[in-house]
Amino acid sequence: MSAALERSPTSLTLDRHLAIAGSAAACFARLWQRLWLQPYLSAELLEMCRLSLARLHRDALESAAHNPHLPAAALSPERRASVLAGDSQRSPLFSPKEKAVLHFCECYALDAQSIADEVADEAKAHLGEAGLVFLIEALGCLDGRIRTARCLRDLAQAEGAAGGE
Amino acid sequence: MASKARASAPPGAPTGNLIRDSALGLVPETLTEIVALNGAVWERSLVPPALLEAIRLRNARTVNCVYCKSVRYEAARADGLTEERAAMIDADYARSALGEREKLAIALADAYLGFPAGMDAALAARLRRAFSAAQLASMFVALMAFNFTSRTAVSIGGMPEEPLPITVLPMSATHG
Repeated sequence: MSAALERSPTSLTLDRHLAIAGSAAACFARLWQRLWLQPYLSAELLEMCRLSLARLHRDALESAAHNPHLPAAALSPERRASVLAGDSQRSPLFSPKEKAVLHFCECYALDAQSIADEVADEAKAHLGEAGLVFLIEALGCLDGRIRTARCLRDLAQAEGAAGGE
Repeated sequence: MASKARASAPPGAPTGNLIRDSALGLVPETLTEIVALNGAVWERSLVPPALLEAIRLRNARTVNCVYCKSVRYEAARADGLTEERAAMIDADYARSALGEREKLAIALADAYLGFPAGMDAALAARLRRAFSAAQLASMFVALMAFNFTSRTAVSIGGMPEEPLPITVLPMSATHG
């Protein structure tokens, strides 16, 4: 990983950049840790959701970031590339459950109001009711962190530019 | 928007906490942290409640969460965000009588809520001048919590027809 990548916040490194906000930031950091330790979604599938959101946000830094919550080699380069290319729905590399979750993820990212019942029902059929609620929570957390990291990078860039004046 | 809820609150006696008594109660692995986050965002914020409420309402109206749009927090009311001022958080907010810091907080929310998210250099510079780094971080944590909650409610579905009457809540309604 380049030095620039290490310094710039992504969803994966956000907590150390927000720690100055105090206990509310600490609560959010604890929620983030909990996402990777639950019985509903594997870390690999959650990581595929993060990569899908990174693609939809056109966030190259987020897409390139390494996820420390994922066991080494848990997500093959082929599957990672397919998610980042946006063709997982047509690929034989993904199970029906993975496709259902990734389809829900894409619909959530584009407009949570417009998630079709069939899309939600398909995800729920694989995850159960509690699993669907967890997926929705996890997507909100992942998407929010990607958004915040991007805004913090813009703020840092403005500060850097001001410092150079 | 899904008119039928895709998940329901777990069975059992209501606790009186809006989050615990919702479908989020189905996921005990995250519930405690979500409740704690909602409490910390309001009780230990580094910006005043009126600014937080401006951010929260901007998010609620953008996401179109019927519940979130109808809620007002007592602490923000006490801090000066009257119903008249809350109504100014609309498309014309920049020309409204809202204060400069309130307008900047709304612009921050818009930058976060854009797709993709992000802000231009001019807005970033104005935010840097108006708020400390810690205050900006505090507002981003609040935004993430508000956006997380409202999009979760919308995604689960089962929202009533709008508009709902305005309900003023104590901060304890969503935490503790």
